Amino acid sequence: MEKEFSDTAKYNEAAVIVSESYKGKTRVIPKVPIRDLSDFSIYYTPGIAEVSRRIAADPGMSFELTGRWNSVAILTDGTRVLGLGNVGPHAAMPVMEGKALIFNYLGGVNAVPITMMIRSSDEFMAVARALEPSFGGYNLEDIESPKCFFLLQNLQKELNIPVWHDDQLGTASITLAGLTNALKVTGRRREDSWIVLLGSGAANIATATLLGSAGFDLGKIILVDSHGILHPEREDMDSLMINHPWKYDLAMKTNSERIKGGAEEALKGADIVISAAKSQPGFIKKEWIRSMNRDPIVFALANPLPEIWPNDAKEAGASVVATGRGDFPNQINNSLVFPAVFRGVLDARAKGVNMDVMVTASNEIAAFVKVPSEDHIVPSMNDWEMYPQVAAAVAAKTSEIGLARKNGTRGQFLSIATDIIEENRRFYQKAFDNGLIKDFRGVIEVGKKN
Amino acid sequence: MERKIEIRNAKESDIDSILGMIARLKKLNEEFDTRMRVSPMMEENARNHLVDVMKHHEDYVFLVAEIAGKTGGFIKADIVHRIYYDPEKEGRISEFYVMPEFRRLGVGGMLLNRAKKILHSKGVGLIAVEFPSQNMIASNFYRKLGFVGLTSIFGKETDSQE
Repeated sequence: MEKEFSDTAKYNEAAVIVSESYKGKTRVIPKVPIRDLSDFSIYYTPGIAEVSRRIAADPGMSFELTGRWNSVAILTDGTRVLGLGNVGPHAAMPVMEGKALIFNYLGGVNAVPITMMIRSSDEFMAVARALEPSFGGYNLEDIESPKCFFLLQNLQKELNIPVWHDDQLGTASITLAGLTNALKVTGRRREDSWIVLLGSGAANIATATLLGSAGFDLGKIILVDSHGILHPEREDMDSLMINHPWKYDLAMKTNSERIKGGAEEALKGADIVISAAKSQPGFIKKEWIRSMNRDPIVFALANPLPEIWPNDAKEAGASVVATGRGDFPNQINNSLVFPAVFRGVLDARAKGVNMDVMVTASNEIAAFVKVPSEDHIVPSMNDWEMYPQVAAAVAAKTSEIGLARKNGTRGQFLSIATDIIEENRRFYQKAFDNGLIKDFRGVIEVGKKN
Repeated sequence: MERKIEIRNAKESDIDSILGMIARLKKLNEEFDTRMRVSPMMEENARNHLVDVMKHHEDYVFLVAEIAGKTGGFIKADIVHRIYYDPEKEGRISEFYVMPEFRRLGVGGMLLNRAKKILHSKGVGLIAVEFPSQNMIASNFYRKLGFVGLTSIFGKETDSQE
């Protein structure tokens, strides 16, 4: 008898089978011609000594004479992996490998997963500092909060390469992109919109901060966590000041009307709700949506299950509904952001990345949707042309604000990004077509039969 | 947003607000070290103490910041006598709190400056402050104002088996 699998169970099983078969998802392959073994005298000793001498004289040349320019480390301590929690660095590896795969496939970036057996933030900082010469950027991944805020802030300050924490910045950027088009669809302006952020974890804290940088009024943003609406009179303010200064700061700057209570009170009359709270349909109640302003915008972003099913939200009057899932319209998906942003900052050999760059990326992603509608506020991962476009906008912005080591125009960067991404795809496709990368469809079918 | 801030002596009618602030302050101290866990008698003891403080102006400086009609912060300094040292009179800030709502308006600085002035006028030659050793925010705050560490108080519970 054929067993019914939920999508998640089916993917779980397939992932195990694929992991057993392939044992890792990326590999290192030479990219220089090796005509015969005497060429090693060029690529390695003795010839390569001269390249070392040049970099020793000017460490910046490491971006031009080695693969550093296109290398990103995915750094994690495995303390908050997906929805699994603190599974540790060994168990984090398959997830980081998946991230590396997406980096490469969509952005042409050589991403190296590095999972670390470390305890403290200081140790994390020390490893990140030590590895900087090898990489053109860092992607922090799946790190518990509030440690992730501390690490992002301090590494961005200290290092001379872009440091990105995807759970914060990636999610915030794609949320802003989606919101930009949702505002268009519902005829709203950024500065007038009342926004409720349900959940005050890494994603929503970053989203609030980014919205503030993108022309939204922080006073009209209300954050809600498990203790209710965030406001300065809350009993835990001093504790937040010590333990979570980022949330404390937002408590001071948001909710200018000092509304108190819980999610229900927060949502009354609000224009937008962005929920990154609890993977449980029904967490957001239909009557809460009904109490919102006309044509409300509902982003229910918890995975795998949204806080309210889209049809329930629609029934309650929501105009635009977005989730984190690919089987509903409007998927708010980080994978639309990080491969492109990194393609851009790497092409500009950027020294850092900041809110301006993120706003640029979000605007560009939003603009890629030419005619936004209720069911189409963000591009899909199939929109290949979006990646080089966003990369070019990011690189040009980086150049404009003085963060680039390599300056250029948007047009120049577009051509660079397009070439890199397309060449990488061609290379991969060729290997796949020639059977050097084996098709796994047979393997998955085995999974289905079990 | 402009808010009128007035620094004045604490009054009887401020006590409830001040007790609320003391409760927040002590609860925070508890987070730094469980040896400073808040007593169930805290409120009653604090109330009695504050009433006493108001009767002895010569031994204390006890100010509040009234902001837009609300008691938004306070400072209490105890004048202690250092019999072995010069200057002999020390004004020791034992309680100092500004409600989060009114932070970043310079209220803390105003309270501290006024307290300093009053202490000086009372012949106090040294201003000092006590706070939990683990409170790095307070430590950095006072260091920036030119305070330096003078004494350390170490603690240990007496019921440990040794």
